[in-house]
Amino acid sequence: MNTYYAGTLLVYAAVDIIACLALNLQFGVSGIVNFSFIVFQSIGAYTAAVLSMPPDTANGHFQVYIGGFQLPFPIPWLGGALAGGLLAIPVGLVVLRKLRTDYQAISLLVLSVIANSVITNVRPFLNGAAGIAQVPGPFADQVDQYSESYQLLYVGLTVPCVLLVWLVASRIVNSPFGRSLRAMREHELAATAIGKNPVQLKMTIFIVGGVIGGLSGAILVGYIAVWAPSVWLYPETIILFAAVIVGGRGNNVGAILGALLVPVGFFEVTRQLPQKIGDWVPPPNLIPAMEWVAIGLLIIGFLWFKPEGVRPEPRRVFEGAPLREDLSSGGNP
Amino acid sequence: MELYVAALGFGLISASVIAIAAVGFTMQFGITNMINLAYGEVMIVCAYVAFYVNRAGVNVWAAMIAAALAGAVLSFLLNRFLYGPFQRKGTNLIGMVIVSLAASLMIANILLPIVGYATSSYQVDQGPLLRWNGLVLTTAQIAIIVVAVLLMLAIHGLLRYTRLGKAMRATAANPTLARNCGIPTQRVIDLVWLLTGALCGVAGVVAGLNSENFAVASGAAYLITIIAAAVLGGAGQPYGAMIGALIIGLVTELSAAAIAPEYKEVVAFAILVLVMVLRPQGLLAKRGALAAAG
Repeated sequence: MNTYYAGTLLVYAAVDIIACLALNLQFGVSGIVNFSFIVFQSIGAYTAAVLSMPPDTANGHFQVYIGGFQLPFPIPWLGGALAGGLLAIPVGLVVLRKLRTDYQAISLLVLSVIANSVITNVRPFLNGAAGIAQVPGPFADQVDQYSESYQLLYVGLTVPCVLLVWLVASRIVNSPFGRSLRAMREHELAATAIGKNPVQLKMTIFIVGGVIGGLSGAILVGYIAVWAPSVWLYPETIILFAAVIVGGRGNNVGAILGALLVPVGFFEVTRQLPQKIGDWVPPPNLIPAMEWVAIGLLIIGFLWFKPEGVRPEPRRVFEGAPLREDLSSGGNP
Repeated sequence: MELYVAALGFGLISASVIAIAAVGFTMQFGITNMINLAYGEVMIVCAYVAFYVNRAGVNVWAAMIAAALAGAVLSFLLNRFLYGPFQRKGTNLIGMVIVSLAASLMIANILLPIVGYATSSYQVDQGPLLRWNGLVLTTAQIAIIVVAVLLMLAIHGLLRYTRLGKAMRATAANPTLARNCGIPTQRVIDLVWLLTGALCGVAGVVAGLNSENFAVASGAAYLITIIAAAVLGGAGQPYGAMIGALIIGLVTELSAAAIAPEYKEVVAFAILVLVMVLRPQGLLAKRGALAAAG
């Protein structure tokens, strides 16, 4: 295993962990089925890209995009996070205020598909289907982006972000605010009755998740240097959902574990697969397609056999409170 | 002006296609309380069944029957072996949406290695052109409209005038009460999936005929238009879905004439957002999206 490969794996793992922690705050802790999560990651990536890139007239104008401000690190990363949070405001205001949970989910799914189709079709905005390339990473003007030390530098910049996000996520989960979120998830009407404002709670966590999602996109785009509509199709969100479900909904450690097991695990397993079995060479689209089928099976299997995941959410019981087994069954119709 | 009259014609055909699909989708939701996000992918599977039957030399209109059968069987199995067990287990609405999205992903990716990424199209005789006051339609396009109108009338007749239709409406209104009144709700639900699956199959073929070509990737676009029509009309309301389909079909095609065809889905989405902000329960439903879970 060389430094480049280790660097790639670590950065991908870090990005997936950050994304899964954000999705866990929204889906696991608060019960918001954000099927457009990848859009928030993507707006962070695009924002970071146009903040760090030169104007599109550079390099013979081979791609077109808005902006191009050539701003130094850490502005692109902060900008990406900010963009994710800003996008969450209008989306949340439309989706989260009145609608039933399954309606929220399908609205966000529709948003994800439409956003992708708009960016693909409107070329002058962010270079359409081809996407933008040659995004400079942090300090790319001072350190050679293709050197081994740059790999170390990138991992060094990414790990503190993971720690920061983890700190924020665990503070939220363990705070009174997190308790309100869980109360809302379990029984919205009851939470409202004791004075919690569900719209405010949902909007807050939706924006927090948007900020973290945007940051994850900004980190990823600085490393892979390209971003195109084909990398943020709506099934990418489903992988993250699979990760959170497998790891354990509502549990930050579970979300991290899920990120390592599902996106990173699949990436590794696919790489280990033989190119051909005997004389039979599988058609090129078979293995990616089977990966998606496996993701689907994983979600369905876990929801059926082990809906609480590998690391279930700890049951929080206050000392002296009476135990009622049926309380944990939740608000099923 | 010519352009808009022509767009009106296209709008009617689109509306016919969307209506067939959206009525099936909304009935699944209304009667079995299941937002079936795999609907678009089942449409594509059926479109491909008809494609292979058509390629074997069978007329595409006859192949449509094969597609309807395939849709009925696939939807029935989907409910019998996936959605039904999860619903009986007490999985909540969020869980069911995730299960159906996972199912959608699996169906698309099982189909993909079989049929490939390339687009396919039917061999169909478009027939002579019919002109009327600037409207120009081919005979095949008229046939799509006729199929849609006949199916809508059939659904109307079924729901209003038959015992089965009454049982379906009772099951939609209150499944527990319906069961207590002696309605075999499980059998009603099985029949709903067979019936809506057949609609889904026909919809897959007419959608393929209307857009001239289709691919596995078309499923998501179909699903969005269907959701827009169903939500606009009031989810769970078959008549609402018909009205929603008419509005979405006409508006998207007229906007394609006025702005650009790439933005058809965006216009459908804009309508969806407006509905969700202004009238989330849809045009016809009394409760719909606003209702509490269950």
